[in-house]
Order: sequence, then C-alpha cells, then structure tokens
Amino acid sequence: MQIIENSKIKEKLYIEKLENGLTVMIIPKRGIQKKYIIWGTNYGSNDSTFIVPGETEVTEVPKGVAHFLEHKMFEQENGRNSLDVLTALGVNANAYTTNNHTAYLYECTDNFYEALDEFMDYVQHPYFTDENVEKEKGIIGQEIMMYDDYPDWKVYLNALENMYHKNPIRLDITGTVETISKIDKDILYKCYNTFYNPSNMAMVICGDFEPEKILEEIKKRLINNKSNGEIKRIYEDEPVDIVKEKVEQKMEVSKPLYTIGIKDIPAEDKEKVKKHISIEILLNILIGSSSELYKQLYDIGNSYSVPSIEYEFDKSYAFILINGQSNNPEELFEMLKKQIDKFVSEGINESDFNRTKKMIYGEYVKEYNDVTSISRMFLSDYFKGINSFDYLEEISTINIQYVNQVLKNVFKKDKMVLSVVRN
Amino acid sequence: MIFVKYNQLDIKDGIKLHTIDTEKFKTNLIAVMLTTKLQKENVTKNALIPAVLRRGTSILNTQEEINKKLEEMYGASLDCGLDKTGDNQVLKFYIESVNDGFLPNDNENMLKQSIEDILQLVFNPYTESNKFKKEYVEQEKENLKQIIEGKIDNKARYALDRCIEEMYKNEPYGLYKYGYVDDLKNINEENLYEYYINLINNCKVDIFVSGILDDNIEDIIRNNENINKLKERKPEYVMPNISGKKTDKENSVQEQMDVNQGKLVIGLDLDLDNEDLKYDAMIYNSILGGSANSKLFQNVREKASLAYTASSSYYRFKNNIFINCGIEIANYDKALEIIKQQIEEMKSGNFTDEEVENAKQGIVASIKSIDDEQDTEITYFFGQELSKNKLDLNAYMERINKVNKQNVIDIANRVSINTIYFLKNI
Repeated sequence: MQIIENSKIKEKLYIEKLENGLTVMIIPKRGIQKKYIIWGTNYGSNDSTFIVPGETEVTEVPKGVAHFLEHKMFEQENGRNSLDVLTALGVNANAYTTNNHTAYLYECTDNFYEALDEFMDYVQHPYFTDENVEKEKGIIGQEIMMYDDYPDWKVYLNALENMYHKNPIRLDITGTVETISKIDKDILYKCYNTFYNPSNMAMVICGDFEPEKILEEIKKRLINNKSNGEIKRIYEDEPVDIVKEKVEQKMEVSKPLYTIGIKDIPAEDKEKVKKHISIEILLNILIGSSSELYKQLYDIGNSYSVPSIEYEFDKSYAFILINGQSNNPEELFEMLKKQIDKFVSEGINESDFNRTKKMIYGEYVKEYNDVTSISRMFLSDYFKGINSFDYLEEISTINIQYVNQVLKNVFKKDKMVLSVVRN
Repeated sequence: MIFVKYNQLDIKDGIKLHTIDTEKFKTNLIAVMLTTKLQKENVTKNALIPAVLRRGTSILNTQEEINKKLEEMYGASLDCGLDKTGDNQVLKFYIESVNDGFLPNDNENMLKQSIEDILQLVFNPYTESNKFKKEYVEQEKENLKQIIEGKIDNKARYALDRCIEEMYKNEPYGLYKYGYVDDLKNINEENLYEYYINLINNCKVDIFVSGILDDNIEDIIRNNENINKLKERKPEYVMPNISGKKTDKENSVQEQMDVNQGKLVIGLDLDLDNEDLKYDAMIYNSILGGSANSKLFQNVREKASLAYTASSSYYRFKNNIFINCGIEIANYDKALEIIKQQIEEMKSGNFTDEEVENAKQGIVASIKSIDDEQDTEITYFFGQELSKNKLDLNAYMERINKVNKQNVIDIANRVSINTIYFLKNI
C-alpha cells in the first residue's frame, strides 16, 4: 500500500489499486467510534451515451438510469432489501447519485463486518425484474415531484440550462417522469455491467482501522471480477458560449431566489487544484462576508445573507455558481459585474488576498473533523483525478499574480447567466 | 464504554460553564446559550437580538470588522441561532476555530481568542448613548420580517410548523420561533436594548467549550470582564413537564398553496405519566417511522409506492410524534388509511421482538457516536441540562437496552392522533 502523509493536519492516506482495478483508500482515525465506508462508481447522470468495452456500436439510454439503478441496487434475489438488512444491523446506510458518480455507503459504530458482508454483496449482485422496476417508477416519480417543489433546486437547474447547450449537466439527475417510463430491466443490466466494473470504481474507508487488516477484509469479499477495458463516454461538443443571459420562473416564494453562473472551461490536470483554490479566494474577496460588495448590498437592503459560492468541475464542464436570496437579483447581478470590472482593472488587494487565503486554509482543515466529510471528499475528488490532500499543499504556493490571472481568464461578463425564481 | 471528559461548574448562580475535553477534532467549538421562557410578548424581540448583536461589538463596531477578524483567525466561523426547546426559547451563539496544533504557527492562542470574542459579541454590543444603533435595529427588523415571511419557502417544513401551531393554539409551544411581523413595528433601538439588558441579567446562561483544552478554561472565564459584570440570577426558564393527552377529538386541517406534491403531517399525542417512559417512546417511534425498516417507510413507500418520504420524529420535550409524508394529492385518503393502520398495528403488538432489538441497536449506535460530532455533543449536554432526569451516555444506553416489546405496546396504547394537517395545491 502506498502511504501519503499530510504533516499539517496529521493524517495519513493508505491507497492501493487491486488487481481487478478497484482503488481502495483508507484514512485511519484513532479513537473515533464512527466508521464510514463509501463505494462509488465513476458513473453518474451525465453518462447516458457510451460505447461498451468490446463493442463498436454506441449505446444511448434514457436520462435518469444512473439514479434509477442506485434505487434498485438494494433489492435482492432472495426477496430481501439490503437497506432493511443493514438498518436492522444498526448501521446507517444510504446511497446517492451525482452528475459524475454514484455512491453506496454506510456508517456505524458496531457490526461493521456483518454489515460489510451485506454491503459488498448487494453492490456486486444486481437483481432487476420487470415487476420491481415498474414499482420503483412510482417512488421515483414522487421524488421528482418533491424536487419540483424546491425553488432552490429549480433556480439551480435553470441556471445550468442557460449555460449549457449540449452537455447533459443541464438535465435533472433523476431524469423526468417521461424518460424514466422508458427504463426497463435490460437497460439497467447493461449499464450495471458496463459501469459497475471494479476498474471504474473506488472505495474509501475512514474510522479506527488497521489499514492492512481492513484491506484484507475487503479483498475477501470481492468477487473475482476482471477489469474490463476503457468505457468510451460520448458527449456532444459544447460551445464555449452561454445559451442566454437571463431566465425567470414563477413559484410561490417569499423573496426572489437567484443563481448566477459563470461558464468556464475545464483546466489542465496539473492546474485543477490551483485554479479551484484561486477561484474560491476570488469569490470570497468579490462577494464574501467581508467584501465591499456584500456591505453595499446589505446597506441598500438588497441582500441580508452572504451568498453561497461554489466552483463545480469535471472533465467535460466547469462553472461557478453564486446562490442566494435577494430583493432585487437584477440589481445584484449588475453590481457584481461592475465589481468584477473594477477588480480586473485594478487587481485584488494584497491584504484581502492574504486574509482570505488564511480563511480558506482553515476551511480545508475543518473538512477533516468527521469521517463522513473526509470519505465523501476523497471519493469525489478521486473521480476528478485529485488527491484531497493536494488542496492543503497547493494553497501555500498560490500568489497574487496567479490569482489575478485567473480572475481575468474566468470572470468574463459574456459568460455570466442569471436565473431567478420569484412570485 | 464511553469516556468523555465532561465537566460542569457554576461560575455564578444561573451561569454555568461546561467543558468537553476531546482530542477528536481539528477545531475548538464554543457555544453560549441564553435560555428564557417562550412568551408571545418576547418571542419577536428574542429573535431579533442575535441578529443585532452580530452587527457589532464595542470593540469591532461593524459586521465587516467582525468578519475580517474571523477570516484573519483562519476562517473561524460565527453562527447565531434560535431554538424552541420545550416551552423555552434559546438564543444560541457558536464560534468554531481551528486548533493551534493544525495551523502553520502553533502559538496563535486560538482557543482563548475565540472564547473572548464570543463573550464580547454576546455581552458587550455596540451601543450609542445606551441604546442599540438605530440603523442596525431597523435593518435587522426588515431582515427578520423577510425570514418570517420566508417560512412558506420550504413547504415540508412549513406544513410541520403549521401542524404544531394548530396543536398548540394559544400555548407557548405554538409560537413561531422567529416571532411575528405585527410585533416588529413596536420595537425600536431603545426598548430592544432595555429588553436585552433585562434578558442577559435574568436568563439562564450556559457556556460550552469543546476541543483540546490545554488552557485553564475556568480561569479564562472567571477573569473575563464580560462575565464579571453579569449579576447572579435565579434564571426564569421552564423545565419540561410530562404532559398527558391533549385532546379527545381528532382535528383535521387542510390548506392550499401552489405545490406539486401534497405534504401530510400528523401530530400524535403520547399520554405519558412518567419521565422514564420517554426512552420506551423513542423505540416506539423508531419502529413506527424512524428508519428505513419502519412500518411507515415499508408500507407507505415500499409496498404502496405512495411516497418518497414517509417518516416520523419524536419530540421528547413535548411528548409528540410527528409523521411526515410527501404524497400525490389524489392519494390523500389512501395514504391516511395506511398510516392509521400502522398506528393500530403498533397498538395490537403486530411487530416482532427483532424489530424492537433493531430499533434499540440503531439508537444505541447513535448514542455511541454522539461524541464523534462536536456540535451534537454540545446539543446532548445542553439537552441534559434542560431535563429533569439526567443520564450520562452509558446510563442512557443501558436504559435503551432495557426496553422490551411489552413496553413498546404500552406506549402504543397511549398514542392518539391530535391533528392531521394537509397542504395541497390550489
């Protein structure tokens, strides 16, 4: 096993790529009662057009299959549901689907190995029938309707639709009632067999473990599955331009919700982490809690809470999101553009830069407080080709010139969209 | 066995320091809780106070200065909140900062600084001629008004709040924790400051300090001038009383809003006559709707495919269980029938010993991991502080492990429906 140590936060990562292609990462936490395991496949809602290894024909499946599969994985041939079995063991099991990965997990204090039997068994043994697939359509249909009632989900999706012409990131992870109606058991098996191959998967374990011992326990429970070849994923070419600048939807909300998006292009591998950190620094200086712009917005009664800011990226997309509630999102949008202009022409202030860098460092350290956030972070970063420790290492190498350059390259007015939900 | 280095001591009458010495985290977490009676005439003022305090202290006069200071402290975070705990309103102030051991320089004194900063914020606000700053109060009134009006934004949460309001009409617990827009117009910088002085001199004060506690925390607190200036007090707060059945009549309320999915909330009364029965009630709730194995999840969601969410939660301070479901509006009768059936099944004891054991395991697991999360641990000890029968974590687990099937059936037969609330479309 390879051991990577981070001296700043005093944590170690043990990492091993098994023969069948599965990557296992272990972060031991001495003295913690909670144990967490997460097993993910690099397969999310974006992967609906692909070439199965060994085939030449392109396969296209309805939107929402990755999420549908996640729901159906718990059902077992013996009539039991693995979620029930795990819950009965007193462990807290769950699963989720994102744009680029699907993950199965549980956390517990006791019965870790009993649960591991069930956990590794169900992820490796799909069981789909016409009947159980049909039944799930009702449940997922209700899940889709629940999301339809979340204004913050709608305002987010509309922003993505305004930024992206072709990339499937613009679509709902769940699919729609219409697309899921076309899903059947054959489609589920085909996607399972393609994407749930160990070479396309990774596992993270965090808690009070001996790394060598837990790795052996994992190996014992793996079906001897051979690594199949590379899966070719097909995304239509995405223009660099946005679709349109503004979109508005009516919903019953007390105060308008907004999402501002800035469309970017994915960075080179070696720049990814540095660019991500720089964008976080810039967003905080621009519209964070101590920024000049936030003070202005507060004083004129435009916004009373700090917008949430994030940078999302993967191989085929990269974008900034600024979310919040505002009495006048259009005004906020214009003030933000003006502030960007000002920073681009004058450059950011040195003391703001140093202070914000310290703050971001502290935020990275805080991620290591609990086994859940550690495990999820290492898994999702892994699928982006990143080791999470890199953030702690690279932040010290960033200087103000680099950040000013990122500001010029990324914060472009013609790449900005505004999505609003209001009454 | 769980070993937590938890200590509490009285700094003065009514002012308590709780320390939790733990090496599990990279951070220090400090909380100050102000507890006072929930009353209609004060609820809005109490909701406004944390927001006004967050605007400035006598040293850092503006929120920009406060925020810059926090950023300088490696992104220390400062959170203010409000809670309804039984018939009390709790004003909560938290500061979280990275422990010196994980910083590039290990002599930053982050723990002491954080304690001093949070006490400064709560007890030494920015004032102008013995009043709060007018501008701050006016802006925060507007802000609070928007929060109160914003309660419709989360439909599921709104349905739950409305159900509670219906069940506790004209009682403290029915009050909305953020208060009422109508009360705002009579609040100004002068009477709010007056109220604030009265509050900090009469409320129950609990200070929690959690982290790697190298310093002498007691000394830091005792030598703090903001603590020194506070008077001894006999705090006015309410210890929760076990309460019996609240109504003989099932109340049904339906309201309309622009929603795609119907939100069904059912409030249940638990007719308990002994505090100790609450632990049995926790197991009852777990089997009814507390997990993926529960009767509600299995029957409403998995078998009938009627919902994505179907669950229940036990509010131990008020002895109520609230059932939550998001359903297709046309399926109201069907869902209600299945839910009522589950309540009856529980009464007749149609559940297995295994289900009881599973529920116990689930709850014991959550007790064991209480000290793995810094804020959960503080919330637990604060909950104990407001409870009559205090149990440490080990005794708590032992008590849960004692519950048997008959105990759960006994609870089931003390359960009755109080209110059925349904939010549907227009």
